[in-house]
Amino acid sequence: MEQLETFIVESPDTVGARTTKVLIQDTLADLSLNRVIGRLKVFVDPVEPVFIFTALLRLGTPAIRLKDFAKVEMGSLGKDEVRIELQREAHTVKLLNKLWEKYGKESIEQPDKKVIVVKTDPIKEVDVLRELVIEEPQAEVLDRLIDAVALRIIPEGFRVRKHELSTSHILFVASEDTLKPEWIAKAKEMLESMRREEENA
Amino acid sequence: MLEPVMYTGGVYKHNHMVELVEDLGGYILQKNVMQTEVVLLMLVPINDMTIVEEKAKELLGKVTRAPLTGTEIATVAPTLAYHHLPHLDCDVAEFLRKQGSKTNMVGLARGVGKRICQLTAYERDLINEHDLAVFILGNYEHCIIEKSKRLYEGIEIPIVVTGAPQLRTEDVPNATAYVGNFGRILHHMRHSEELRTLDKLAEVIGAVFDNVRKEIAKDPPAVAPPRIKKEIEEQVQEIIDSLHPLPVTLQMNGVRVKLPYEEYHEQIENIRFVEGVTMKEVARVLPSKMRNFILIRALPKSETGFVI
Repeated sequence: MEQLETFIVESPDTVGARTTKVLIQDTLADLSLNRVIGRLKVFVDPVEPVFIFTALLRLGTPAIRLKDFAKVEMGSLGKDEVRIELQREAHTVKLLNKLWEKYGKESIEQPDKKVIVVKTDPIKEVDVLRELVIEEPQAEVLDRLIDAVALRIIPEGFRVRKHELSTSHILFVASEDTLKPEWIAKAKEMLESMRREEENA
Repeated sequence: MLEPVMYTGGVYKHNHMVELVEDLGGYILQKNVMQTEVVLLMLVPINDMTIVEEKAKELLGKVTRAPLTGTEIATVAPTLAYHHLPHLDCDVAEFLRKQGSKTNMVGLARGVGKRICQLTAYERDLINEHDLAVFILGNYEHCIIEKSKRLYEGIEIPIVVTGAPQLRTEDVPNATAYVGNFGRILHHMRHSEELRTLDKLAEVIGAVFDNVRKEIAKDPPAVAPPRIKKEIEEQVQEIIDSLHPLPVTLQMNGVRVKLPYEEYHEQIENIRFVEGVTMKEVARVLPSKMRNFILIRALPKSETGFVI
C-alpha cells in the first residue's frame, strides 16, 4: 500500500477501525485500485451511525482518441473514402471493433497492416473519426471505484447515501438513518484537509 | 451415550476397526480412503472407548475426539452480497465441514443494518431445523450488540456469533457463545493466526454441542439418529440414487432425508426395526422447510417409554 500517501481510518471503535482498514486494503487490491487513490480518509461512528469515505484520485491517462495515434485523411481523389494511417498498433483491435460497429464490416478495408480504409463520405466523417474515442481508462476506473466503495466497503445496512464523484475526488456519506448536515460538512472538511496536505507536500 | 470420534490410520487392517465399532453397537458415519491412509468418522459407545483406543494403538492409528461429527450447522450471513461472500462465510462453512459437520449456508433477505434487520418466518423455521446456527457478523462492537438484541428472535437452537471485537459472551444478548477476531474479512483466511481463530470457533462449537449432548442424554431418544440413518439406507432403495450431498444427513436429534415428503413419508413412517416397532412409534416424520425434504425427529424416552 506504499502508493497511498495518506490512509487513515478514524473511529471511536479502535478494533473496528483496524479491521475496516484491512477490509479497504483488500478491496482496493482486489479491484487493482491502489494506484488510483492518492490520499484516503475514512471516518466511522457505528453509534451515530455514519460512514464517511473521502479520497483524492490520481486518474491516469485521459480518453484516447483516434487522432492520438493515427493520421486521418481523405482517401484517393474521386472516391468516397477516409484513409487512416496507424502510427501505433496498440489499439488496432479496439479501433476495428468500433469501426465495424459504426459503419458495418463491408465498408472497412485493411489493405496494409497499418492502413485502414473506411468507405464513407469523407467531407462529413473525417473530423468525426479524428475525435473518435477508442478507449476510456478513466471512466472504467471510476466504475471500478464505485463498485469498491458503494458495493463492497460501505456497510450494507447503510442505505441512505450521499455521494460526490469527479475526476479528482470521491466522497461518500452513508448512514442507516437520515443524513445530518454536519456529517456532510465533516466529509467536506476531511476532503479539504487532504487537499491542503497535497498542496503542502 | 455415543461418543463422536475420528480414527486416522493405515488402510491395512482398518476393517478390524470398522468391525469392532459395529460389534460394539457404534456406527461408521463416513469412510475416506486417501491412498494408504484412511479416515473414519464414527460414533462409539462411551463405555467402550478404551477398547477402541486399544485397537487403534494395535493398528498404529490414532483416535481423536471430533465433537462436530454427525451434526448439521447453519452458517448465517446477513445477506448474500460481496460484503460477506465468498470469503468469510465460505471459509467458516468449509472449515466446519472439514471438522465433520454438515454445513448449510443461509443468506438472509433483510438481515442488514443494526436497526432495520429482521428475520422472516421462513428463515426462522429453516434455521431452527439445524443443530446450531453460526451468525457471521461484522466489525463494530456497537452494531453486533444492537443487532443481537433483535435478529435472533424465535430461534430456539444454540446461537454462536462471530465478529471482530473481543467480547464476552455475556455482553452479546441472546447468544450462546461469541467468538472474536473474525469481523468482515474480504480475503481468504489462510494465515496461521486466522486458522487459529477458525480452530477456536470449532472448539467453541464443540463445547456447545457437548452440553447439548449431555442434555439429550438425560432423556435419551427412543432410537439413536444413526440407527434411523442406517435403517433408511437399508430399507429405502431410492436413497441410493439421490444425488444430493449426504442424502441422509445426520443431526443430533434426528435426520434429514433428501427425498420428497409427499411420495416417501408413508414408506418411511412404516419402516420396521428388528425390535418390532415401526418408525412412527419412535420418531416424528415431518415435512422440512428445506425444499420438499423430510425431517425426522426422534421421540424422547419419556414419551415412548422405551429405548430400542
